[in-house]
Amino acid sequence: MFAAQILINALVLGCLYACIAIGFSLVWGVLNVINLIHGSFIVLGAYLAWSLYQGFHVSPWYALVIAAPLFFVFGYVIQRIVLNRVITAPVLVTLTMTFGLDLILNNAMIYYFKADYRKLTLKPPMGSVSIFDVVVPVDRLVATIAALALTGILYLILRRLRVGRAIVAVRLDRDAAVLMGVDVNAIYAIAFGLGTALAGCAGVLMALIFPISPLTSTAYLGKAFVVCVLGGLGSVSGALAGGVLLALIEGVGSAMFGPAHATTLSFVLLIVFLILRPQGLLGRKGFE
Amino acid sequence: MAETNIVELKGLRAGYGEVQVLWGIDLAVPTGEITALIGSNGAGKTTLMRALSGLIPVQSGSYLSGGVDLSTANAVTILSHGIVHVPEGRRLFGAMSIEDNLLMGAYSRRVSSTELKRDLNRVYTTFPKLFERRYQAAGTLSGGEQQMCAIGRGLMGAPKLLMIDELSLGLSPLLVEQLVAALRTLNAEGMSILLVEQDVITALDLCHSAFVMDMGRIVRSGSGQDLLADPIIGEAYLGVLKS
Repeated sequence: MFAAQILINALVLGCLYACIAIGFSLVWGVLNVINLIHGSFIVLGAYLAWSLYQGFHVSPWYALVIAAPLFFVFGYVIQRIVLNRVITAPVLVTLTMTFGLDLILNNAMIYYFKADYRKLTLKPPMGSVSIFDVVVPVDRLVATIAALALTGILYLILRRLRVGRAIVAVRLDRDAAVLMGVDVNAIYAIAFGLGTALAGCAGVLMALIFPISPLTSTAYLGKAFVVCVLGGLGSVSGALAGGVLLALIEGVGSAMFGPAHATTLSFVLLIVFLILRPQGLLGRKGFE
Repeated sequence: MAETNIVELKGLRAGYGEVQVLWGIDLAVPTGEITALIGSNGAGKTTLMRALSGLIPVQSGSYLSGGVDLSTANAVTILSHGIVHVPEGRRLFGAMSIEDNLLMGAYSRRVSSTELKRDLNRVYTTFPKLFERRYQAAGTLSGGEQQMCAIGRGLMGAPKLLMIDELSLGLSPLLVEQLVAALRTLNAEGMSILLVEQDVITALDLCHSAFVMDMGRIVRSGSGQDLLADPIIGEAYLGVLKS
């Protein structure tokens, strides 16, 4: 039963990790930008959910609907105004640029919200369900389902919509996409907007489960990074696989060596993957 | 009245950054004909195609199509004038299905789904192989099927002028024959075609007129048959020895 509990925990947490990572993966895969603002976007999403709940009693489930368009526009504008200017520069330049933007956003949040840890506590609490001896808190379960739904929506956008096909096409072959009449800068902005929207929504879901503070942004960024390396870049299924694998490693690791070593273990795994299988579980070698 | 030339170039210069490749190209592609562009490696054929489709900027000279100056136009505008480029090496979206590749070809045309469906069916009629494999990833196709897919993707852009770079590269003679037959049919239906080709005999045999490029300039032109009979062309490109 203990093993079953670890497995269920890992599945629940894994879907949330995938949700954290998927926007990061999309931006990295399509724009070839390692987006260091991603963690702060997640925290900002968490603050949005918290503020809406504390200030206006808006349930986090509605906050998702508010966060998605808001963050999309935010990301779209950042890409159009700032990042598109350096998008063709070497990866170090774009990395530095997102690092700078992250400093601005993160410090603005510290200034505005203070560095105190806050918690969004639903009243009344949603309780938990237990099947046999496996216990799952309901808020986590619903957050997981929402995370899966967001992941599914991104998958459908990329697969079924005209703009999604263009995003994939730009990722696969930028020049050929130009020949098809794709406005690459607009597609970059849309992809970055989608990545930001996913980060914001992930933040709303995180607010239900984890304490909120600007200082947690690097933890989210680290998770996103590890999930991308484990699962492989730029595919939705890769992010899911990477998320569940990371959660599983952390779960089993904490059970065997104590929770203090879970993160150590996941980053050791990151290094092992980078050495042995740099394209990740489901990533394809040699396609940008 | 229809224009006699679908594309007219005068003194067109282009290159990559500091490197000048095209040194004043004068070229007219007649409407409704197949025109071939031949020349050795590095003559500037692909660069000319890239300039015509807006992938690289035109530095100077004029580029007219249907009376419109396209020398400063971007790729999207050029595409909207019906000038479609099937690039060297096919450049398919390998991880996407054939059908998605074809749909990408129609990306810049905002048309109804019924019209899209009709155009898809037209491509599938021209290349039945593509229909059989329409949900297969384009990267898994054989070279010939990839070329069919690339040409099909070009056709989805509703071209008035279809520019094909290296039609026969890496393909068996039998496949080249099939593709040539397909191009003849398309041309008979009224499409103008500009073909860059290494296989000089195939190109000169297929085209109505041809231009020979060397060192970034047009050095010769004429009908395909005339050029085939030209001793200098024979010596330079066909390996025929001076008698």
